[in-house]
Amino acid sequence: MSENLTLVQAVRDGLRDGMAEDDDVLVMGQDVGKNGGVFRATEGLFDEFGDERVIDTPLAESGIIGSAVGMAAYGLKPVPEIQFSGFMYPGFDQIVSHMSRLRTRSRGRYTLPMVLRAPMGGGIRAPEHHSESKEAFYAHEAGLKVAMPSTPHDAKGMLIASIRDPDPVVFLEPKKIYRAFREEVPDDPYEVELGEAAVRKEGTDVSVFTWGAMTRPTIEAAEQMERVDVEVVDLRSLSPIDFDTVVESFKKTGRAAIVHEAPNTGGLGAEIAATIQEEALLYQEAPIERITGFDVPFPLAALEDYYLPEPARIAAGIEEAFDF
Amino acid sequence: MAREFKLPDVGEGVAEGELVRWLVSEGDTVGEDQPVAEVETDKAQVEVPAPVNGTVRTLHWDEGDVVPVGDLFVTFDVEGEAPEPESEESTDADDEAADEAASATSEASGRTFAPPSVRKLARELGVDLDTVEGTGPSGRVTEGDVRAAAEGGDGEEAAEPAAESKSATKRVSDDEPASAGGAAAGGQEPAGRETTLAAPATRGVARELGVDIDDVPAVEQRDGEAFVTAEAVQAYAEGGQAAQGGAGEAGGASREFVEGGETTEPYRGIRRTIGEQMAESKYTAPHVTHHDTAVIDSLVETRSKLKPRAEAADVKLTYMPFVMKAVVAALEEFPILNSELREEDDEIAVKQDYNIGVAVATDAGLMVPVVKHVDQKSMLEISEEMNELVEKARDRSISREEMQGGTFTITNFGAIGGEYATPIINYPETAILGLGAIDERPVAEDGEVRAASTLPLSLSIDHRVIDGAEAAQFTNRVMEYLTDPELLLLE
Amino acid sequence: MVVGDISTGTEVAVVGAGPGGYVAAIRAGQLGLDVTLVEKDAYGGTCLNYGCIPSKAMITASDVAHDAGNAEEMGVYADPEVDVAEMVDWKDGVVDQLTGGVEKLCKANGVNLVEGRAEFAGGDKLRVVHGGDGQGSETIEYEHAVVSTGSRPIQVPGFDFGDGPVLDSRQALAMDDLPESIVVVGAGYIGMELSTVFAKLGVDVTVVEMLDEMLPQYGDDLTRPVAKRAEELGIDVHYGLAADHWEESGDGIVVAAEDEDGELSEFETEKVLVAVGRQPVTDTLNLEAIDLEPNDDGRLETDHEGRTDVENVFAIGDVAPGPMLAHKASKEGQVVAEVLAGEPAAMDYQAVPAAVFTDPEVATVGLTEDEAADQGFDPAVGKFPFNASGRALTTGESDGFVQVVADDESGFILGAQIVGPEASELVAEFGLAIEMGATLEDVASTIHTHPTLAEATMEAAEHALGHAIHTLNR
Repeated sequence: MSENLTLVQAVRDGLRDGMAEDDDVLVMGQDVGKNGGVFRATEGLFDEFGDERVIDTPLAESGIIGSAVGMAAYGLKPVPEIQFSGFMYPGFDQIVSHMSRLRTRSRGRYTLPMVLRAPMGGGIRAPEHHSESKEAFYAHEAGLKVAMPSTPHDAKGMLIASIRDPDPVVFLEPKKIYRAFREEVPDDPYEVELGEAAVRKEGTDVSVFTWGAMTRPTIEAAEQMERVDVEVVDLRSLSPIDFDTVVESFKKTGRAAIVHEAPNTGGLGAEIAATIQEEALLYQEAPIERITGFDVPFPLAALEDYYLPEPARIAAGIEEAFDF
Repeated sequence: MAREFKLPDVGEGVAEGELVRWLVSEGDTVGEDQPVAEVETDKAQVEVPAPVNGTVRTLHWDEGDVVPVGDLFVTFDVEGEAPEPESEESTDADDEAADEAASATSEASGRTFAPPSVRKLARELGVDLDTVEGTGPSGRVTEGDVRAAAEGGDGEEAAEPAAESKSATKRVSDDEPASAGGAAAGGQEPAGRETTLAAPATRGVARELGVDIDDVPAVEQRDGEAFVTAEAVQAYAEGGQAAQGGAGEAGGASREFVEGGETTEPYRGIRRTIGEQMAESKYTAPHVTHHDTAVIDSLVETRSKLKPRAEAADVKLTYMPFVMKAVVAALEEFPILNSELREEDDEIAVKQDYNIGVAVATDAGLMVPVVKHVDQKSMLEISEEMNELVEKARDRSISREEMQGGTFTITNFGAIGGEYATPIINYPETAILGLGAIDERPVAEDGEVRAASTLPLSLSIDHRVIDGAEAAQFTNRVMEYLTDPELLLLE
Repeated sequence: MVVGDISTGTEVAVVGAGPGGYVAAIRAGQLGLDVTLVEKDAYGGTCLNYGCIPSKAMITASDVAHDAGNAEEMGVYADPEVDVAEMVDWKDGVVDQLTGGVEKLCKANGVNLVEGRAEFAGGDKLRVVHGGDGQGSETIEYEHAVVSTGSRPIQVPGFDFGDGPVLDSRQALAMDDLPESIVVVGAGYIGMELSTVFAKLGVDVTVVEMLDEMLPQYGDDLTRPVAKRAEELGIDVHYGLAADHWEESGDGIVVAAEDEDGELSEFETEKVLVAVGRQPVTDTLNLEAIDLEPNDDGRLETDHEGRTDVENVFAIGDVAPGPMLAHKASKEGQVVAEVLAGEPAAMDYQAVPAAVFTDPEVATVGLTEDEAADQGFDPAVGKFPFNASGRALTTGESDGFVQVVADDESGFILGAQIVGPEASELVAEFGLAIEMGATLEDVASTIHTHPTLAEATMEAAEHALGHAIHTLNR
């Protein structure tokens, strides 16, 4: 059986299934319990699983993440939530110094089966700190997996895969598309493998690599373009990146563009471009275009639409790659 | 209510009938099967029976009109009961074109009556309901009507293939410049390979030199694909530049052609009748055509001599009467070519009359007036009669009787030109003789070639009845008489 | 929601859950579309909550009371006691059952329900403002929007709804206890239906109508039996008077109405019900945001698919042109849903039936004789009076007739007009006949059960054909 769910409803469903199948799984964060989460991602979990497994925490990101590290080290499977990814910074030390390193530090004696969830990304007319897209920070840190689903079906599947994973996962949810559309999501638990990209649209002229909330405008741009036959690959996981799929696509087309809302410099577009030319230089026919957010702090709501890549800008970038 | 009655099929394969006279008047009461009209075809005269009990509301034709089969003939008011809906015969193109009274209601108010399910079907099939003739009671549009309209076309079909062929043409011309342009742009639509590996720097070199990297001969392979170095590109550029440039330019230009489309004219009436008869003849009888050439110097001389004599009697003397006489003489010896095959009766009828049809080209098409009893008429009589008939045929005043009863046909296409042909037998005869143009042609006699007047002959026979040998023998005999016309004196 | 605005995406956003909107939403859900239905008040809209259903419930209840007390002819003697508050409670129960049913049906068909008032925000977005307790607002991003916001009663200047004794039809149906007397402004179908209810429940009813006939959309022969019955019920109807103002007077009020010469007539009464018509609701939608303008009648122009001038915005029901009838809205809702699902649907109905639930009932569908002639038909008319109907006589209601209009030449049925018992039900048969392109012959030759009122339809058709059995042919 399945149901038509939005992305955030699918997250909730994944949490519920994860908690139902394993008593060690617990959820913690600000307003996740009695309130059901400010985005309703944990709605009903408190009533179903009680206050020992759905924990309302104080406003203390470092504490939330640090406690979760401790719980995970001792055999629980915590799924802490940071209310907006922009607020992960107060807990950054816990993430990079401990969450990512305990396995190495203990030579494998301790692993941390925890999933750090946070809504991320812009497009919701919110002020600063609420629209961050800094997946690159976490991809840069060895020992962390970084997941960013772009559909309800992937959201539940990847969340369950993350919960079941013995190692830590940073699970970023693009909140702009939390309720943007509904998709059929199976009722029972299932996994969508981490580290696996999905080809959303096949094409022969230009490969476009994207993820998160940018997947939809990229597909829209690709479908509208008549001159160029665009292939769209949704990476879904940003660490590890599925370079097999990426390179295979590039070898087919010889031209690429990367679309991400994160700022340009140091964004993962650069990582992909570098890897492509390492692995498939001889196939390359044009410079790899990066269509991204700009190197500025995320602007206020009124300018948001100019900052985020949208179909016209994406199409223009793809054409640059095509016409070279 | 009203019952529209269309002229039914009145004879085998007959497309139309002449309304000789009405047997009822408007307002008369009629019983089912009661004859309402006498209609003549070129086979017979038939009576047309009423299909219902009721009264005659409208007689749609005048006596003497030629009514196409399937056209609206009489409208009856049916007594008492509800009229039966017409069956799927309405898919016949003739019926659709002919239906008039059915639209009376729609015409009055512009409204089309159709049940909701039929309206939905029309939308699904893309049929404009207001253009569909309803065959249901009182002109109601039925599901069958909508489906027929969707298939039948009524011009829609004509438009579509034209449109399709237009777009097909366009696409072809679109493709060419694109690929040629692509070649110049550096490897998109390669004239050579599909995939070539090369360092970006190499590609830059190729581009600068105006070389399509997919054409550069590759001596190396990497990763399973052809690999090209910058040096290879250079070398290729110096070598094959000239050839490449030419190809590149030629492909670039594209011509636009003016699409002519087509015009249509109706396929009906005499033309259609001829068509159907030709088809019937050719598809029924296995045709074999025997060709030969008669040397007719003597005939030419004879005719010249006799011509003034004939003119004195006000008769234009052509070669045709000679040919007809020659043919009759040969038929008397080989009567099997003067026959008719009646398959349904399992018999071959060998005719005792010699009624020779002469094919005439008219504005309306091919017509075959028949000169009856050629064996019993003199050359002059034949000549006179034939000329008369030809004129009548040409001005369409010829009667049906004058075109009936033939047993053998001659067609003189040579009057226009040509040597040999493969004429189609004038069904239900079993042979036809085609005459080519009388002309001076080289003839070999006794080892020497001279110019002689010759008349090419093309005899088509129905091989079910006549064998090649008979055809040849018959032709030989005809030629004997044509070569030596004096022999006709003995006939 | 803490901060920011996360849009909810949907394929079809339907604004207004009346008979147009909820039908569109359910049908769209059935066809697999992602639908969001926004309603600011109650599911079922005016029809279910304040109009069709409550009024018919009250009509039935008042009929029961009235009939019981007036059946001496049949040997039944009674003087029924009426508890209006209970009657209204019962009516409310019926309404609740139906609105609950609508909600269930929507959910069962996968329709997402949002409570709030919606307005267009441009860029294919709707802003939905939630109700009172601080839930704020949300944004819905739609691919297609369907406007089905319905209509509201027209307010006559000088008679503001909400001023104590001035009632609109909604309020009139919610009164827990009845006034002794009431002035009804407007002798249209709402005015006459409600006047009949009040009169049967013992209220002293005076009707004030600006034109010189009641139910002006219907022909004289249809309204005559209704006017006669109104008189019998003690309803006082005054024509040619336009309501001007009201003022307090002693315990009650005085309603002043003006004739064409400016002369005032005054009526003393307790309450005044204003039922002069309804106007489409488009001013709450912020249509400027999508560059859509209502026409001079306040309606949104639509094509045969229900599409407005804005390609992805549809309008159905009272906001779209055509008669303001719930069943027409429902039909449009169905068509729009099917169009959105890519089916070849269109508003191709041949006729919309209409019914007035007065005593006797009036119902029409299709063309009248005059309309048929205007359109180029040669009309054949058949009429069968109910006093010739066995069944009608057995119900004691034999005023009225069934009339059918057809094209003389082809026999196609073009229209029907009925006044009499169950007219609202009987007219359905003619609706089917017109849609099917049936002829008089078809209806006349269909066996109708005896003894029923429906036989009258068959007889009317026979009459048009000149061979009716139970009434004299011309």
